[in-house]
Amino acid sequence: MQNILVCYKWILNEQEIKIDPNTLSLDTSRAKKRISEYDKNAIELAAQIVEAQGGSSIAISYGGADVKQSLKDALARGPERAIWVNDPNSDKADAYVTANALAAAVRQAGDYSMILCADTSADASNQQVPLRLAVLLGIPAITCVIKLDVEGEKVIATRRVGDTTEKISVEGPAVFTVLPEIAQPRFPTVKQVLAAGRKPQLELKVDDLGLESEKLTPKRTLREIKGYTMSRKNIVYKEGTPAEIAAQLVNNLIKEGVI
Amino acid sequence: MAGIWIYSEDIILAKELVTPAKELAKQAGQKVGAIALDAEGAKELAALGVTKVIVLQSSSSWVEAYEQVVADVLQEEGADIVLIGGTIRGKYTAAKAAARLDAGLLTDAVKVMLENNKLIAERFVYGGLAVTTEELSFPAFVTIPPRSYEIMTAESEQGEVIVKEVTAEPGITVVDVIKTQQQGVDISKADRVIGIGRGVEKLEDLTMIQALADAAGAEVGCTRPICEELKWMPIDRYIGISGQVIKGSLYIAVGTSGQIQHVAGIRDSKVIVAINTNEKEPIFTASDYGIVGDYADIVPALTEALQNAKA
Ligand SMILES: Cc1cc2nc3c(=O)[nH]c(=O)nc-3n(C[C@H](O)[C@H](O)[C@H](O)COP(=O)(O)OP(=O)(O)OC[C@H]3O[C@@H](n4cnc5c(N)ncnc54)[C@H](O)[C@@H]3O)c2cc1C
Ligand SMILES: Nc1ncnc2c1ncn2[C@@H]1O[C@H](COP(=O)(O)O)[C@@H](O)[C@H]1O
Repeated sequence: MQNILVCYKWILNEQEIKIDPNTLSLDTSRAKKRISEYDKNAIELAAQIVEAQGGSSIAISYGGADVKQSLKDALARGPERAIWVNDPNSDKADAYVTANALAAAVRQAGDYSMILCADTSADASNQQVPLRLAVLLGIPAITCVIKLDVEGEKVIATRRVGDTTEKISVEGPAVFTVLPEIAQPRFPTVKQVLAAGRKPQLELKVDDLGLESEKLTPKRTLREIKGYTMSRKNIVYKEGTPAEIAAQLVNNLIKEGVI
Repeated sequence: MAGIWIYSEDIILAKELVTPAKELAKQAGQKVGAIALDAEGAKELAALGVTKVIVLQSSSSWVEAYEQVVADVLQEEGADIVLIGGTIRGKYTAAKAAARLDAGLLTDAVKVMLENNKLIAERFVYGGLAVTTEELSFPAFVTIPPRSYEIMTAESEQGEVIVKEVTAEPGITVVDVIKTQQQGVDISKADRVIGIGRGVEKLEDLTMIQALADAAGAEVGCTRPICEELKWMPIDRYIGISGQVIKGSLYIAVGTSGQIQHVAGIRDSKVIVAINTNEKEPIFTASDYGIVGDYADIVPALTEALQNAKA
């Protein structure tokens, strides 16, 4: 039986962020938050393991007040419980602070047999929270997992590292970060959404975790954020037969000197 | 030895890192040190003017297992700035070593600078939508992607090489390692690329795409889901923020929506063409020429037009 902790981050949907072409500033006013893309795959994997082997999974997220809104969505995807680590200063947090807060929350969550994360968050792309978490908890970490086989006490993780596939065997609790192909996230059904509303949610205030203020002080400071823009010709062909359009395009490509 | 330290399990990447490390060292009036995993590579680093190269030797073949020893050496040496090669294994080592030293780490920096005893780096966030400037106080860790810097020519002054026998205990067992056959083409170097996305409905249509590539003198690349979900192409063919970055003269996107994570890998191309049925997709904003239509009609027509143009 597996007791799985699965970590997800509640982030802005980057597709809804607009860039001001003059100032290059980011307009996030119309961007909604969502579960970081690949964390959904990790949550799905947790659900599949529990469905196949029994046990339970707990979803954990560290963030600000708005993380509360995410709990139902996370729970509809399978976990039995959700823990929300609430930090009013989370907007300044870096991977160091995030991992310290998550590690403290994990210690309070009780026994666990594995911790699942995605390989990268879709906003910050730190690729470090799960590894830092493993160091803080004193357990191994296996990244880039594309297959996870639970065989009793032993877990066999298949990793993809560039052009190499590695099989790793681990005994005892470990952190695994997954690549998206490991499991396709479900679209929660109405029934699952309704059931999610009745599942337990636990809020942990970061100040109650017993962390020294040093551990909640980011190492990283953000100086500036600027949108990346490019100007393209944006010529669009809609009218005409495919042959006519193709001929026009090829003419232009010849003029551009790229053919 | 305080100063700027570099580490990569990949010796070519380690040599690339010497370039920015020396730049930073010059500014800081400090020296460059390196940690290497083999004695031959260490000599090459010393020849590039790295003052002190420490070779870690152990029986472990799982490179990730060295993270603890790497952290120990960096701590003993009192490293201020640590540049680590941004491979998957390098990022693993970087994150764990930084955690052990309670240090900050900036992943995948595209630019590194020094200012008032702080490390400043630029990096992409939101899948390439924005660039941030971030700062860290010392000790500061940063990972740098492969091929970001040219390797310098060897210096007359050689550094010293110190070999250390260490134990690297991974706490896991490597059961099996399979190296997949490299498919030959490196699309990051191709001048023209056709990139297919999930809009391409069936595997058989790759024949049609290949015909277009032949007519255009192009290689075929793709979006991430084509490799990971559909497994139609080898993993080194996908383009984007987490895959290959192409910088050639022509990119033709066939049935790709143009999400930022993909566009981040194509936006240095000179000319971008899109073929997509849905005019509202972001790929049209990212393109010079967009064709609203079904690839099944457009691709053969374009192939023919290219063949005619050459004839
Ligand atoms: C952290 C992170 C990192 C990522 N890194 C990358 C990366 O490096 N590279 C990458 O590619 N993706 C990456 N992604 C995924 C990315 O966000 C998109 O999901 C992906 O690029 C979409 O692939 P696609 O365009 O093939 O598929 P879709 O988005 O499904 O688009 C298919 C397109 O085909 C069009 N279409 C359908 N039928 C036809 C037809 N008959 N003719 C013409 N057009 C048709 C549709 O209109 C649609 O626009 C990443 C995501 C995250 C969260
Ligand atoms: N604030 C957070 N709360 C919970 N999990 C997180 C948080 N930030 C990162 N993670 C986990 O760590 C993974 C990698 O994040 P990152 O290190 O930011 O790339 C994410 O996919 C999550 O699984």
